[in-house]
Amino acid sequence: MSLKLRKGMIFILLLTSFLLVATIVLPGGKKPEVVEIVFSDWHLTEPHWEKALKEAFVIFEKENPNIKIKLDPISYGEKETKYTTEIEAGVGPDVFHLHAYSIKSFMEKGYLYDMTPFVKAEGPGFTDAWYAQTIELMKKEGRYYAIPGDFMSMVLYYNKNLYREAGLDPAKPPKTWDEFLEYAKKLTRDRDGDGKIDTWGFGTIGAISPGFELRFTPILFSHDGSYLSEDNKCSALNTPEAIEAMKFFNDMVTVHKVIPPGVTAQDPGTVRTQMANEQIAMLLGSGWTPPIVDTNNPDLKALEVLEAAPVPVKAGIRPKLTTTAWLSAWMISPNTKHPEEAWEVVKFVTSKRMEEKWFKDARVLSSRKDVSGEYDELLRDKFAKIIAAELEHAKFVPQLKEWPQIIEAINTAAQEAFTGAKSPGQALGDAHDQINEILSVYRASGEKCPSF
Amino acid sequence: MNPSRSRLRTFRIFARPFSHQFQGFLFVLPCILLLVLVLGFPVATAVVNSFAPIWSEVKKFTLENYIKLLNDKLFWNSLKVTFIFVISTVLLHLGVGFIVALALNAEIKAKRFFRLIAILPWTVPDVICGLIWRFMYNPTLGIINAILMSAGVTTRYIEWLASPKLVLPSIIFADVWRGYPFVMIILLAGLQAIPREQYEAARVDGATTLQELIYITIPNLMRVILIALALDTIWQFRRFGLIYNMTLGGPGHTSEILSLYVYKHYFKYFNFEYASGMAVVMAVIMLIISYPYIRMIARKA
Amino acid sequence: MKKRSPYRLIPYLILVFVCLYNLIPFVWMFSTSIKTDKEAYKIPPTLFPQQPTLESYNQIIIWTSFPRYFMNSTIISLGTASLSTFIGSLAGYGFSRFNFRGRTTLIGIILATQMLPGVLLVGPYFKMLVKIGLYNTYPGLILAFTSITLPFSTWMLKGFIDTVPEELDQAAKVDGCSTLGTYFRIILPVITPGMVATMIFAFLLAWGDLLWVLVLTSGESMATVTLGLSRLVTQFRIIWPQLMAGSVIATLPPLILYMLLQNYLVKGLTAGAVKV
Repeated sequence: MSLKLRKGMIFILLLTSFLLVATIVLPGGKKPEVVEIVFSDWHLTEPHWEKALKEAFVIFEKENPNIKIKLDPISYGEKETKYTTEIEAGVGPDVFHLHAYSIKSFMEKGYLYDMTPFVKAEGPGFTDAWYAQTIELMKKEGRYYAIPGDFMSMVLYYNKNLYREAGLDPAKPPKTWDEFLEYAKKLTRDRDGDGKIDTWGFGTIGAISPGFELRFTPILFSHDGSYLSEDNKCSALNTPEAIEAMKFFNDMVTVHKVIPPGVTAQDPGTVRTQMANEQIAMLLGSGWTPPIVDTNNPDLKALEVLEAAPVPVKAGIRPKLTTTAWLSAWMISPNTKHPEEAWEVVKFVTSKRMEEKWFKDARVLSSRKDVSGEYDELLRDKFAKIIAAELEHAKFVPQLKEWPQIIEAINTAAQEAFTGAKSPGQALGDAHDQINEILSVYRASGEKCPSF
Repeated sequence: MNPSRSRLRTFRIFARPFSHQFQGFLFVLPCILLLVLVLGFPVATAVVNSFAPIWSEVKKFTLENYIKLLNDKLFWNSLKVTFIFVISTVLLHLGVGFIVALALNAEIKAKRFFRLIAILPWTVPDVICGLIWRFMYNPTLGIINAILMSAGVTTRYIEWLASPKLVLPSIIFADVWRGYPFVMIILLAGLQAIPREQYEAARVDGATTLQELIYITIPNLMRVILIALALDTIWQFRRFGLIYNMTLGGPGHTSEILSLYVYKHYFKYFNFEYASGMAVVMAVIMLIISYPYIRMIARKA
Repeated sequence: MKKRSPYRLIPYLILVFVCLYNLIPFVWMFSTSIKTDKEAYKIPPTLFPQQPTLESYNQIIIWTSFPRYFMNSTIISLGTASLSTFIGSLAGYGFSRFNFRGRTTLIGIILATQMLPGVLLVGPYFKMLVKIGLYNTYPGLILAFTSITLPFSTWMLKGFIDTVPEELDQAAKVDGCSTLGTYFRIILPVITPGMVATMIFAFLLAWGDLLWVLVLTSGESMATVTLGLSRLVTQFRIIWPQLMAGSVIATLPPLILYMLLQNYLVKGLTAGAVKV
């Protein structure tokens, strides 16, 4: 063909390829007014939560046409790793969800956006909607860094069929730890007659897991014990109450043997599976427990067979705060380019109607007083009403950035005691020393803590 | 070769100013360049961080991390556990790999089939491996106890990962499963390279199988064995995913290897600087151990 | 005279053990993947499911982005394998045939990069990627994995090249080949098996990684197989059937790769390993 035609074809070819490359390389054509908010949450990996969140965001995007939500799922175990790395590098999801366990560390490292201007702009009394102790956790030196989300107290769950089989009255759950132990011993038996014990009274977490804190703390608090001294500068594990609580916890495994073998390898999921298979009769759990047990074994009809009750207390004392609670919160990345829109998202997911939706879809209780205290569907639910009632007896663990290291020292001490590697006193003593060492940054030189 | 000859001539004109040895350096350059570009900044950051105070905004030079780790009981414990883990797994990888390689090298049928089975564990990622074995080891839920109990071998629920005495052997057993195939392949290759004549000569001389093994097989394989040992040792020091998913260091600190301890301080407690200090110490130890191997590879064949 | 000794059976005995040891976890993996959700959590556990179902595979393949993860993993792993092998062969050639100043030091540096745990390197590397805009891209990940596999590739390929007699190099020079030409025309064809071996190793390393892909990617579009599987470990429970289904599928590409290249693998490692 002629030279001119050839040149023309080459030119058109070049132009087309250039345009093609340009459309791929250059950012997609979005209308400049639409802001994209990246929303990251481990709940997106859970089917019922994922569905609930997606439905919620359809509503949100309709009401806020200029904001588009981009979902960024992350696994529960890896979320801190991902968020810290991203925020350190100057990026990070605009809105993300964390367990209270990590909030203090994130706050101290500067990984959370200061929301105080937005909170103040909502007017006085805005934060009154939430339980006071949950809002306190979101603050540092009077400034707000997160808004509380799920709030659920730890309660005792028991299988009423197993109670009846062991001759116990399901309408009378144990009120003291002594009663509890009696019940547990009766419930630990050979159910199928083959000579081996195949069902135990109680199941708990012995593995190194964030779930350990939620199961040991109620035992400690209901014995009127504390982790640290009032000023958070010293370990309080040397107090008689703490020693007694740890000994009780430990004796259940080593002396009374009311817990299935291999407790130091048992994480929360394993314990719920044991419950689903009627291998244990009781456990400490919260709002998430019945649905999971039910999913593990639909034949058990867990929603009917399980009952909830407040955590037992030590006989003869009446501590006001006997249990602890799970708390999660929503926060904004300090590197966000769209803080106003991110705030709209946070406000939306923690609003009254959304919190009611989270209960309906995922059975979680809210840190909003107008939901956990007033939502009638919640208050009619046989589990939720007990959990809600216990919220006022729930105390949080000390809020320090060193807390993950401190609780792990106690977690490993419990393991050492369970396996008999150390006596409970020895294990606790070593943990006590370790914690005092960790807290030494808070003490002036010369200030010493009482030894074990 | 006409068009290529002219191309070669162009190359030669290009290459002539460079000395022969410098050309060698140019070949190595992309590799060095990539490593420095990708890892230079991270390595430098880690080393610099190790000399900074923990959790403080102000970066001043301090040795406090190194002093702290010298006094840290858990650090020394993790070193101990690491050494036990590394030495056991490397030796077992070698031992099991060697025996299996010998078997696969023998006169057997269905060699390809067996080779495929032998390589299977290598294809499973670290993380999945840890999860699977953890579930299998579960006292009441796991398949291992179920099999042992139904075979009548034991009546108790054996606490594989829950007992301080059994946890390391159990982890090592799982890691050998994961790790021996690679060593086995290397050894198998080495075995197949041994000239048949040596074996035939030995047989003529009336040597037994055992003597053949000791005097022919092993000396020929020496270099291969040392390579496999060197590589495996370095990799086992860094092994992380398996133990993280199996026990997270428990019970107590009995399975807390150094890489896990460093991870905890970095991503759980946010003690970036302290973790960096420990990692630098770990790297120095590894460098010292691997120095003889570096010398050996550098030697020309 | 050929003696039909009973020793003949020993290899078979060993291989039976190998089969049991290697396969039991896979049998369990596969059997869990075809169990119903309910049966997976039963006590005592069953080795063979009573109600087998392909539901988990259905869930994984059709209802999640698993196919996307698969594609991403494959691209990243193949990219790593190719890049690592190519650059490694260049470096191996350089170390093998030339004796320049600082040679030992450079080998030491290459190995030293392996010594620090990934935990410390991901953060700063990620910062770098963000600055140059390669965050959440294939190249960002491929470069990261290549940096991890390169030392091994270089080491092994140097060994293979060491076994190629230098006379071949001389002959090529006489014919008028430049150094580069020798590399392409003489060395590469001879060590192809070694290249294949290195490629498989690099592929597997990239394929099975979790920490780097977790940190260096975001969202569904760039996630890999291992990342997708890790999300099945939820806050409350491990979704075993789906996790095992995903794991079974995830072992297929490495297996297929291995099966296709089996012959090269053994031949390749022969030359390299013995003479290094």
